[in-house]
Amino acid sequence: MKTVIFNGAKEGDQTINVIEKTIVDQLTKEGWEVEPLELRNMHIANCLGCFGCWVKTPGTCVINDDGRETTRKAIQSDLMVWLTPVTFGGYSSELKKALDRIIPLLLPYFQLYHGQIHHKMRYERYPKLLVIGVQESGVDYEETFLALAERNTLNFRHPAYAASVFRRDKNPETIPAFVEELLNKVEVIS
Amino acid sequence: MSQPKKVLLLIGSPRGEKSNSHAIGKFLVDKLEGNGLVSEEAIATRLVNTSEGIEKLLNSVENADIIVLATPLYIDSFPSPTIKAMELIHENRKVISPSKSQLLVAIMNSGFPEKEHMDTALKIIRNFVQESNLKWGGGIRVGWGMALNGEPLDEKKGMTKKLTRGLTLASVNLSYGQPISKEAEDLASTLFLPPFLAKSMMHLFGKRGWDKQAKDNNAKSKMCDQPYSISFAVLNRRTADV
Repeated sequence: MKTVIFNGAKEGDQTINVIEKTIVDQLTKEGWEVEPLELRNMHIANCLGCFGCWVKTPGTCVINDDGRETTRKAIQSDLMVWLTPVTFGGYSSELKKALDRIIPLLLPYFQLYHGQIHHKMRYERYPKLLVIGVQESGVDYEETFLALAERNTLNFRHPAYAASVFRRDKNPETIPAFVEELLNKVEVIS
Repeated sequence: MSQPKKVLLLIGSPRGEKSNSHAIGKFLVDKLEGNGLVSEEAIATRLVNTSEGIEKLLNSVENADIIVLATPLYIDSFPSPTIKAMELIHENRKVISPSKSQLLVAIMNSGFPEKEHMDTALKIIRNFVQESNLKWGGGIRVGWGMALNGEPLDEKKGMTKKLTRGLTLASVNLSYGQPISKEAEDLASTLFLPPFLAKSMMHLFGKRGWDKQAKDNNAKSKMCDQPYSISFAVLNRRTADV
């Protein structure tokens, strides 16, 4: 089974680095193949908002750079992990630049889902999703962050998902238990 | 005599001047100009790509009395370069002492008819405003943005009547240095037809529009292609490995 990690941290973010390493260790031990992607070191241009991935080259972004690879790896994985500093309650621009480019995994067509209009799915299967935000002390945007992650699962209909926030002022020794609980929640380890 | 207030139209769409964000934001800013304010325009999604652009962005924000951030919804949030602009503005305002009270008004638009798609994104902007020592000037959520087609808003057109009336009301509030009223927010955020009808129309006829665009690009037969699909044999082997 395959996991791809979208690491949307800035250079030198020790907390996110430790969380990433812990995920790699715990999943590798269970026989998973894990590929962490440090998005800040990749060539991923910003989405142009041109809809070319829907009406010119359906399913593939018109920009030929690492953004195509991150999208391919995402849909071909069994578990996708998003790591980000909590940024005003949302995701960092580093993580978002890769997420903006995964739109070709959906069809442009619409359907009603949970009472609202959403895009139809292009593929029969999508990976499970785990979203982890690391939050600075002094602010509390957990509610917004979890609401955003939940909204995202409505778009991609992930078969299982979990989302959580780890506070940066928390003891790093609690990270292994924190990660283990989340991996249990998305039913990838037992 | 006091200086006229300055309004900055900050565009958060990668499509820049051709975007619906620009069309909506421009309507409001033109009204403010008519009320005696001076305006400036900045395409945030372009400026964040160069150091000169970043400097211009930060200076424009600091000089403004009112910032109108007009942005599309991208996956329940904002386009990456718009978030980048917010990160940069926030960092900058941690090291400088803002010399005046500044209002930020958010105008969001989404391709979906339901304005509720934008609720979480609006919370994120409010958090940004609070963390960056700005003052919340109100939020407008425009559904079914693609129906606007990036064209200037027309006050007489039925489709944009509520939106333009709401924006005109908002301009009166802002001209007095006040956040926009709930009445203006609600009116500008009201769809031109009942939500149930909009949903049905989009569900039934949305396909036609996309197919037409694909046909123009000789891509209609490929619309549902799955370029990254992997075989079930590979999937089964993976499951067996664990």
